Amino acid sequence: MSIINYASREIQFKIVYYGPALCGKTTNLDYIHKRINPENRGDLVSLATAADRTLFFDFLPLNAVVIKGFVTKFQLYTVPGQVIYNATRQLVLRSVDGMIFVADSQWEKMEENVESFKNLEDNLAKQNISIDEIPYVVQYNKRDLENIAPVNYLEYVLNNRKKRVQSFEVVSSTGQNVFASLNAVSQILLHKFSKQSDAPKAAPSPVAIPVEPPAAQKASATV
Amino acid sequence: MSAIPCLTIEDVANLDGVLGEFLKKAEAELTVVIDRGGNVISQFGDMTVMDVTIIAALAAGSFAATKELARRIGEVEFNALYHQGNGNHIFMNSVDDDTIMITVFGRRTTVGLVRFYSSSTAQAVAKLLKSLSTGGHGFSFDASDVTATPLFSE
Repeated sequence: MSIINYASREIQFKIVYYGPALCGKTTNLDYIHKRINPENRGDLVSLATAADRTLFFDFLPLNAVVIKGFVTKFQLYTVPGQVIYNATRQLVLRSVDGMIFVADSQWEKMEENVESFKNLEDNLAKQNISIDEIPYVVQYNKRDLENIAPVNYLEYVLNNRKKRVQSFEVVSSTGQNVFASLNAVSQILLHKFSKQSDAPKAAPSPVAIPVEPPAAQKASATV
Repeated sequence: MSAIPCLTIEDVANLDGVLGEFLKKAEAELTVVIDRGGNVISQFGDMTVMDVTIIAALAAGSFAATKELARRIGEVEFNALYHQGNGNHIFMNSVDDDTIMITVFGRRTTVGLVRFYSSSTAQAVAKLLKSLSTGGHGFSFDASDVTATPLFSE
């Protein structure tokens, strides 16, 4: 749940990286932490086991653009992917604003991907939230490996809802599309946030909208 | 994101008043009000000693993690948690169903004093938070404000 603070002029958002065990959620955060300007981030907090498996969550606070004098603060979390830690996943999902579902592209991980996505829907439902209400994008990670499913298959399996979301071919270990997917979900989130405003829109959005050409033009076009 | 809490300058001043009074009476260093998702709602005190954002995320996790422990002994949750250090300590108490209050204190005071004053402070904070506007947040921007450049870059 985002919070807008007019005194400190900040808006806070929570983005959760969700996906099966060992799909690369922590690697995403690790890459962002290493590559983003240190002035725009806090420490990466990782609550992991001795074998580097996420036990509780990873957490990385980021500052993004200043919009109309307000600093947008994004808090990135990962969930533990292992099946037994479902209670922890429910906790991390609390007050979520946006999500990145990280799928492992390897054929043998397909069942785990599907189970994890279903688990995400179930855990959101426990908070009375439908996944369609939350801005999210999908990452197809580990595209550098050999035994991977083609993207159209992954789309069919994991992104086949009524409203398809943006998806990215990612190699989180090298950073391919790591920032692109984060930027995509952040922008969808901010647009949704802006639409929830009560304030009258001052100016129309500069997005290009196809307009019916005037009748005269239409006639000439058909000649 | 159906209901977005909006803290006006007046809300923050009111919260600061309550939290400032609490810190003075309890002689604690810092107090932070957070939601149970780990977002900071308000903070007061010496913030130079630690990253409040990280404290908030970890405290929310810690509070939620003990909920299951509480359930095992027939409680809904523990209303308060105390982490004792050698010189610095953390006391956390529930404000309402969505909010937690964290207090960091040192050798100047005792957990008893912090606990005593935190109870009435939590009630006052809960009352203030109840009155927050959760309708439209009145903050709008154009698409170009966020699409002109990537929000995050390497």
